[in-house]
Amino acid sequence: MRARLLAVGWAMAFIALALILCGIIFQASGFSAPDMFASILDGAFLSDGALLHDLRWACPLFVSATGVIVAFRCGYFNVGTQGQFYLGGIGAAVAVAMLPHAPAVLVTLAAILAGMAFGALWAFWPGWLRIRSGTDEVITTLMGNFIAVLLLVWLTSGPLKDPAGSGQVTSSPPIPAAIRISTDTGVSGWIIALTVLVGVVTWILVNRTAFGVLGGLAGRNPVMVTWQGARLSRLGLGAFLFSGATAGLAGAMEVLGPDGRLVSGFSPGHGFTAVLIALVANLSVSGSVVVALFFGGLASASLYLPVIAGLPSAAIDMVNAAIALFITARSLPAWLRLPKRNRS
Amino acid sequence: MASALACDGLTVRFGAFTALSAVSLSFPRAQIHAVCGQNGAGKTTFARACAGLLAPSEGSIRIGDALLRGGQVKDARAAGVELVHQSFALPPSFTIAEAMEFGLTGQRGAVFTRRGLQARWQPHLDALGVEAKPSTRIRDLPVETQQAVEIARALAGNARVLILDEPTAVLAPSAAAALFQRLTRLRDSGVTILIILHKIREVLAVADTVSVLRGGRLITGPDAVADLTAGRIAAAIIGHSPAKAGDAATETAEDIGALVGTDLPHGHRHTVSAPHAIATLAGITTKPAADGQSLQDISLTIGAGEILGIAGVEGNGQRPLVEVLAGLVPLTAGSVTLDGTAVTGLPLAARRNLGLRIIPFERNTEGLSLSSPLWENFAARGLLAKSALSLINPSALRRAAHAAFQSWDVRFTSVDNPARSLSGGNAQKVILAREMDDAAKLIILAQPTRGLDLGATAFVWQAMRDARDRGLGLILISSDLDELFDISDRLVVLQGGRVAGQFAPPYDLGRVGAAMVGDH
Repeated sequence: MRARLLAVGWAMAFIALALILCGIIFQASGFSAPDMFASILDGAFLSDGALLHDLRWACPLFVSATGVIVAFRCGYFNVGTQGQFYLGGIGAAVAVAMLPHAPAVLVTLAAILAGMAFGALWAFWPGWLRIRSGTDEVITTLMGNFIAVLLLVWLTSGPLKDPAGSGQVTSSPPIPAAIRISTDTGVSGWIIALTVLVGVVTWILVNRTAFGVLGGLAGRNPVMVTWQGARLSRLGLGAFLFSGATAGLAGAMEVLGPDGRLVSGFSPGHGFTAVLIALVANLSVSGSVVVALFFGGLASASLYLPVIAGLPSAAIDMVNAAIALFITARSLPAWLRLPKRNRS
Repeated sequence: MASALACDGLTVRFGAFTALSAVSLSFPRAQIHAVCGQNGAGKTTFARACAGLLAPSEGSIRIGDALLRGGQVKDARAAGVELVHQSFALPPSFTIAEAMEFGLTGQRGAVFTRRGLQARWQPHLDALGVEAKPSTRIRDLPVETQQAVEIARALAGNARVLILDEPTAVLAPSAAAALFQRLTRLRDSGVTILIILHKIREVLAVADTVSVLRGGRLITGPDAVADLTAGRIAAAIIGHSPAKAGDAATETAEDIGALVGTDLPHGHRHTVSAPHAIATLAGITTKPAADGQSLQDISLTIGAGEILGIAGVEGNGQRPLVEVLAGLVPLTAGSVTLDGTAVTGLPLAARRNLGLRIIPFERNTEGLSLSSPLWENFAARGLLAKSALSLINPSALRRAAHAAFQSWDVRFTSVDNPARSLSGGNAQKVILAREMDDAAKLIILAQPTRGLDLGATAFVWQAMRDARDRGLGLILISSDLDELFDISDRLVVLQGGRVAGQFAPPYDLGRVGAAMVGDH
């Protein structure tokens, strides 16, 4: 318990350092740092409806982060969350397009399951390559992100394109309200229920199943669990599929929820923020609830800043990047100490 | 006459741990000085401090008349002190000539030709009686030649003091004898030799003086070996309470002899009441692994209620043998039977369900996950027998680990602490507690006592004998012949991946040693 509190304390200290660094840069580029932080705080948590916006962004981020937690704990650095998230959105949109006459509830369920399946598929091939031939999953999952972005662009400007659309950003036709799981606010019973369900399931998986303990051991020392008779390939593939499915679910939640259609290039920073949440929370499921709310706040502030305060929203990207930098620096010594992974 | 090397109040601390405490010693020139002690007594720390690899926390080291600046290997080497490491430090891909040249300092920017290097180093090798071509790569040399080259490398400069850290640990008995002859010749030519040794027998065979360390303190020395007996050296090494294992204080005189290496035990004939095969290997052949080891047509039977010792120079098939039994390497020929079931194609998990247990070679990587909590390390075996998604109760698992550690006399503070918080002996007990459970039928122990102090070693031996008496089959793989002779009911020698001999007590060192190096 003390160790966990200490870890949280360290994470807070690093976030504070990141904010100080941002403050210096704001000040140096001609903005008033106190004003900037006040506006971010306003946009994130204090202004009317800020907490609702916060939740709107935090829910899908948390869902994706749970998958990152499981994969990273097992020692697989799946950083393809963004691609798996997009595939999830595509899966949901495809399911909706293919079931034009089915009852709304069934379409919704089918779309959610299709999103999870597509996301899992996008994690399956890097997982397979990793386990079969030792291909570095960091490279393959990153590359998968680029392919997924292009797939999304192609689908939204080709097969799934809304013929009535005239905006600059191409998208699929709007999804009927009966099929959607929330209005444009992005907060609804469905979304909260799905998020809570994923949180509970992941917490049980990590803390109360044989998979959780063995995965944790395998992540720290795969050689040891091999000598205990574990089949790393099964354990690893399970971790990849779970993380892909959760990211896919988050994508489906976006498309069926606040977005209401498949938009080209939606939520571009989602996957990396999810990885960041998992790392800041020290791969703890309960910790990432709080951290996801914090990053959800930053995400809503980035929409608030240019509109209400007339400040550049890039400030939020900078805050995110600075936090990423400091958190990675914190985890780096621990990663370097990890025993070499078995490449058999 | 000034001493070759002297230390005064030498103290080395690692954090709160004092590895060496106020050691004052001076070694006369042109003699062979043995330094003895149990594991953890501070022998290697002493060697490394004298070679300038470690900076003393207090005290000083003098080489001849010059004071050694602590932690400066270059200074030590310039003063003529060379260390031959326990595990060899020559780059495996270098040729002998390259390695020799590489070892010399102060030649920055020079240009070499292969032919020139070979011509330069051939006479040096010849003069030291090293029978190898300078163009041979280090990795292609047998281990005793590697060691000879390492010594030749150390003597390439103007070494006046040679420090050898447990040089016999990796050698077959005959190679050890050859090493001792080489060292004696060097001594006669005026080199002072400090040799860290584990076995009193070897001390008596080669050294002029002996110094004994215990718990980081100098107990006695340097004393002339001629005035000493094995018993007195053993008493100095062990101290007043040899049985630190507490309850397991049942060592026989022969056990103590095997622990400190006074007289080689010959083993006891242990009669098995109803012998039946617990495991059989028939005609096992494997492909060479990355380290070049493989098995060639190995056939063995391990009976219930016996300890089968596997002897051999390291790297002669011991690791593939364990991996074959574990099902971690594919076979090109042969079959494995475990407790009457053919398991040739079965994975390790299925073999473990049949009662196979393994204490692997590398305690800290293969045996434990050092950064994971102790209870997880203990629970791993049980959890793997369940399906992955079965629910667990962590507090029950913690309690089970706690109870098991207490009954195995593990010294730990909390089961939530990482495994790295334990000493080597306690870490090994955690592995024993996990692997020597009631359902075990065949236990493979690979170097189970390496690096353990005397008390922990005696504990492991007792646990093995208890398991044997309960009717389990045990396979002990060790490079310590004293250990093998003392507790094996039967001995198999591996050489070049083949069974080079099978022996029953009383064991004969000459015959076992000959089988280890392939002389029949």
